[in-house]
Order: sequence, then C-alpha cells, then structure tokens
Amino acid sequence: MDDKALPDDETLVRLTQRGDTRAFDVLWQKYSPRIYSLIYNMTSNHEDANDLLLEVFAKAYRSINGFRGKSSFYTWIHAIAVNMTINFVKKRGRRFQMSLDDMDANVQNDKEFIDLTATNNPVREVDLSELQGRLNEAMMKLSVEHRAVVTMFDIQGMAHAEISKILGIPEATVRSRLFYAHRQLQNYLEEFRKK
Amino acid sequence: MMLDERQLQTLLRLKRYEQPPPEYFERALTEFHRRQRQELLRRSAFQIWFERFVSSLWSFRVPSYAYGVAFSIFLVAATIVGSGVWAPTRTTIDAGRGLSGITATPSAIEVSTNRLALSGRLDWSKFDRAAVSHRVVPVLDPSQTALPRYVLDGRPVSYEASFSF
Repeated sequence: MDDKALPDDETLVRLTQRGDTRAFDVLWQKYSPRIYSLIYNMTSNHEDANDLLLEVFAKAYRSINGFRGKSSFYTWIHAIAVNMTINFVKKRGRRFQMSLDDMDANVQNDKEFIDLTATNNPVREVDLSELQGRLNEAMMKLSVEHRAVVTMFDIQGMAHAEISKILGIPEATVRSRLFYAHRQLQNYLEEFRKK
Repeated sequence: MMLDERQLQTLLRLKRYEQPPPEYFERALTEFHRRQRQELLRRSAFQIWFERFVSSLWSFRVPSYAYGVAFSIFLVAATIVGSGVWAPTRTTIDAGRGLSGITATPSAIEVSTNRLALSGRLDWSKFDRAAVSHRVVPVLDPSQTALPRYVLDGRPVSYEASFSF
C-alpha cells in the first residue's frame, strides 16, 4: 500500500482503541523495522531482538487504551521498546552474539560507505564483515544506556529532543552520554586497529 | 591515526543496513497474531474484563471544570456549617429530646431503668424492688452488644461476654 494512502498514527491508534486489529497491523508494518533495528543494535542478537519485538508490540497492544496522545505513537512505542530492552539486557547480563549473517547488500551503494572505503581513508582496508564485527564489539563495550543513545542518534538519526522524550532524561544528559560513548568507541576501535 | 568524530558517525550509520530480510517482518506479524490468540485463550474471561476495566480507568479523564465545581461545593458547605445557619449536631440532639418526651411512657421508663442497671450506674439503695417487675428483659440495641449478656434479678452476673455455651 502507498504510504500516502495510510491514515495517520492518531487515526490508527483511535481505530485500534475501538477494537480494529487491522489498524494495529498497519502500525506494526510502519514501525516494526525501526523497533527491530533499535532492539537489535542494543542486544546484538537476532533471537533476542525477535522475541523482544513481539513482546514490545504485545505490550503496546495491551496498553493502547491507556495511550492518551500526549506524545506521538512513535515516541511512545520507542519508549516501551527502550525500557523493555534495557530491563532485558540488565537481567540477561553480557551475552554477545552476532546472528545477522550479512549486512544488507544495499550498503555498497551507500555514498558514506563509498567515502569510507576510499583510498585516503584509514578504514579502507577493513572489509565489510570485519567492519560489522568491529562495530558490534565496540558497541557491546558500552553500557546499555549509552548504547541506546548511540543507536537512536547515530544509527536511527533521531534528534536529541526526541531521544530525551523517549528516555525521559534532559537533553543535556543525552548529549553528555553521546559524547562519552563516542569517546569510548573511538578508543576501542583505535585499539583494535593497532592490533 | 585515530578515527575522528565524523568517521565514527559514518561507521555507525552504516549499521542501518543490518536488517533482516523484508519477509521477516511479515512472518513476525503472523507470529504476533498467533501469540495474541494464544494469550486470549489462556486468560480467563475475568482477567480480560479486569484488564479492560483497569485500562478504561487509565483512559478516564476528569473534566477540568470538575475540580472547580468540587471546590465551590466544599466552600458553600463549609460556609453554611461554619456560620451556624445549619448545625447538624444540635438538630439531632433536639430531635432526640423531643423523641424522649413523646415516648416517656411507663414501659419506656422501665426499659430506661433496666439500661441504667445494666450499665452499673443505678443507685441500688433508692431502688424499690417491690415496685419493679422481676421479669427483666434487657433490650439491647446492636450498639450495646458490649453490655453483660446474663442478667439475674436485674443484676448483671458477668460483664464479660461469654462465647461458650
């Protein structure tokens, strides 16, 4: 279905609250890839991401009558996903497993990827799977709270204000977490490069 | 040479491409529907009703003017009671007096005397035993259940309620 033909989130939420399950399916189709990406980058595990994705949407469906529209559905469901994933990771402890075998082939057409692998770039000799592995390992060195901020800002491209709403923390805290996380990632990737 | 901030951000942005194949989300939706159905079957009707009830409570919104109305009602009630225009306690006492005046019949006096005896406040030296019937049947209101249960000859035998028969 064309995106323009879809009703807006507010309408879809209202329809779901009235018992229209197809409206919730539309919300699923719209947000599940983003929520999956968020969870996957916080857990680095496909099985966990899969289970959590289903749990997040189940919780959202159960709580949809309590959704008052004070924030957007986008912010609301991201907040559910982040909180559930943080709780899950804290309970689970450290378990790092790369289970998505391949990066999407479209990456090779990405301008940033081309720039990054250009001759004058320090990471040009790194192949695709190695690059993926390094990044995931580096991410897993961060605390889950820092990983959440990096995922939302750097990978999903959210604004500081949006992240602040989702996490319920001041924007200044978002910025400081980002700064600290970037420093840690830079140090880790640098150590890896020296090896 | 260390990765600069821009290069790091570029590397991180490439993680957007770590996505499962597109058909994964369709399969996951089917799995989501299956789990939803299972959950519905597992839960009792009461649980479902209770969850909906709680959820409807959360979505209940008190109109903003309701607080103002409630406060105004409180102010009016406080003014009426505070200014003495209407004193509920005094009215009740007056009503009680009026009632005792109406019901001051000999049988009512006997019941009243019996109650005094039961509460131990009766001056027995002034008590005319001959004038009083020996059949003392205490009339206990529900609020008087703490009074003695067994009475012989108008005197309380025990002040302790007995539960053994």
